[in-house]
Amino acid sequence: MNRIEIRELTKDHGARRVVDHLTFDVLPGKVTGFLGPNGAGKSTTMRMILGLDRPTAGTATIGGSRFTGLDRPLRQVGALLDPQAAHGGRGARDPLLALAVSNGIPASRVDEVLEQTGIAAVARRRTGTFSLGMRQRLGIAAALLGDPAVLLLDEPTNGLDPEGIIWIRELMRSLAAEGRTVFVSSHLMAESASFVDHLVVLGQGRLLADTSLEAFIDARSTPRARLRTSEPERMAAALARAGLRMTAVAEGRWSVDGIRAEQLGSLAAQEGVPLLELSDERASLEEAYLELTADRTPFSATAA
Amino acid sequence: MITAALPTAPVLRSEWIKIRSARAVLGSLLAVFAATAGITVLTAAAIGTSEPGALGEDRLFGAFFGINFGQSAAVAFGATAFAAEFRGGALRVSLTAVPNRTRLYLSKAVAVAGLSFLVGQFTGLVTFVAGQAFMGEYALALGDPGTLRAVFGSGVYLTLIALLSAGLAALVRSGTLVMGLLIPFLLIVPFVVGQVMDGAGQFMPDRAGQLVMRAHAEGSLGPWSGLGVTALWTLAALAGGWLAVRRRDA
Repeated sequence: MNRIEIRELTKDHGARRVVDHLTFDVLPGKVTGFLGPNGAGKSTTMRMILGLDRPTAGTATIGGSRFTGLDRPLRQVGALLDPQAAHGGRGARDPLLALAVSNGIPASRVDEVLEQTGIAAVARRRTGTFSLGMRQRLGIAAALLGDPAVLLLDEPTNGLDPEGIIWIRELMRSLAAEGRTVFVSSHLMAESASFVDHLVVLGQGRLLADTSLEAFIDARSTPRARLRTSEPERMAAALARAGLRMTAVAEGRWSVDGIRAEQLGSLAAQEGVPLLELSDERASLEEAYLELTADRTPFSATAA
Repeated sequence: MITAALPTAPVLRSEWIKIRSARAVLGSLLAVFAATAGITVLTAAAIGTSEPGALGEDRLFGAFFGINFGQSAAVAFGATAFAAEFRGGALRVSLTAVPNRTRLYLSKAVAVAGLSFLVGQFTGLVTFVAGQAFMGEYALALGDPGTLRAVFGSGVYLTLIALLSAGLAALVRSGTLVMGLLIPFLLIVPFVVGQVMDGAGQFMPDRAGQLVMRAHAEGSLGPWSGLGVTALWTLAALAGGWLAVRRRDA
């Protein structure tokens, strides 16, 4: 019902193809991360979903209909685009009120979202004096205004302080837990790993991955286990028989490539080698992502 | 399809909130009244009784002495009201609430038109009545030939100028640019093409429209046809702005 459906979506800016035949779905009840380096086409895709940019080809629909065909769209879809979207020199309340009124949303809801986003206290101040973090919260307040079932957030953590990042993370998780569709773009992988369930990865306008966070990392990291043992020689010999090598990481600590903790544990048990510690070492989302996009970053600093 | 493009009461109210809460926009609207009525009354009080036709050879047009200043404020009102939408992605935010671009554009135009018409009518009436109160023996009375037409027409004229400016602001996406071009144009062109009432000069948006405030129309246009010419300029500017807003990526 509140599924975002992208089909063969394409956008050219002059001769340059910014978005290239994208096809994917964004499902309710999850936080879907829309990841990719700067210039990958994330914002353009989001703008096309909202009917702000005209696709060269393909379609983007929300719950089966185009965004521009929605009556009172704020009640169905909330969007945070660029936080700089200056709401003029006006206070925080008036621009939200203007949005609310246009969609038949009661004025009381404006005060609710101002409270919810923590800017009620500064609502009377001119927005020109707002910090980036406060503007970001104002933008999020606008997105939440209509209590929508679908949220599109473009780089919502931009400009937020650590406390703000934790807040938006919890907010997105709770919105998804309520069954809403949360589609959030980011170019910061380390940060995204803490709130996304599902990933859509973009590189130079093309779809590179559309998978769960777990599957994404597992597919892009070689298995590796770490261990601590009182009898490294026997362990090394046992591993060598299985064709594996043990490398020293620190005093008494070792790592083994090509095996998971589960298998290594049973191997050690068979051999009767005492293990003091055993764990899987997994790549971070960031490492997995870099592995995937290494040769697809348009503005890479190091020459390949 | 057509009804989806028409303004609705909630969207109009929303546009009113935007205008009301932006100082520059509300300020220029009030300046339409302050400049037109204020300058007319002050000038009339200063020199109104010194000689016949002190405020202009055409005594009826002299009754709207401040209109040149008021129209600059009308330009500022139309330009700032529309241009606020093109600053820093504000249009994107507006379009997430009202995704039909024609509806958003028409609602803005109707809000600007309605407000400038109300203020324009009030301005025309106050300017005429208060200004003439200082004219002594040379005063015109409401009801003299052409006066009612001029009072009503002055308000319509200010409305058309505000909308002309609004349409241009949507076309070039900058209020500053529109004000920077249109205000000098309206102030200077009358001096350049000057008193040449026939020829192309009479079809300029300000020249033509101001005929509605004159007792004697020289040239080939009459008071209402003159206002009609201004209306055509305005319509062209609004259409240009509409096409631009509809076509461009926001």
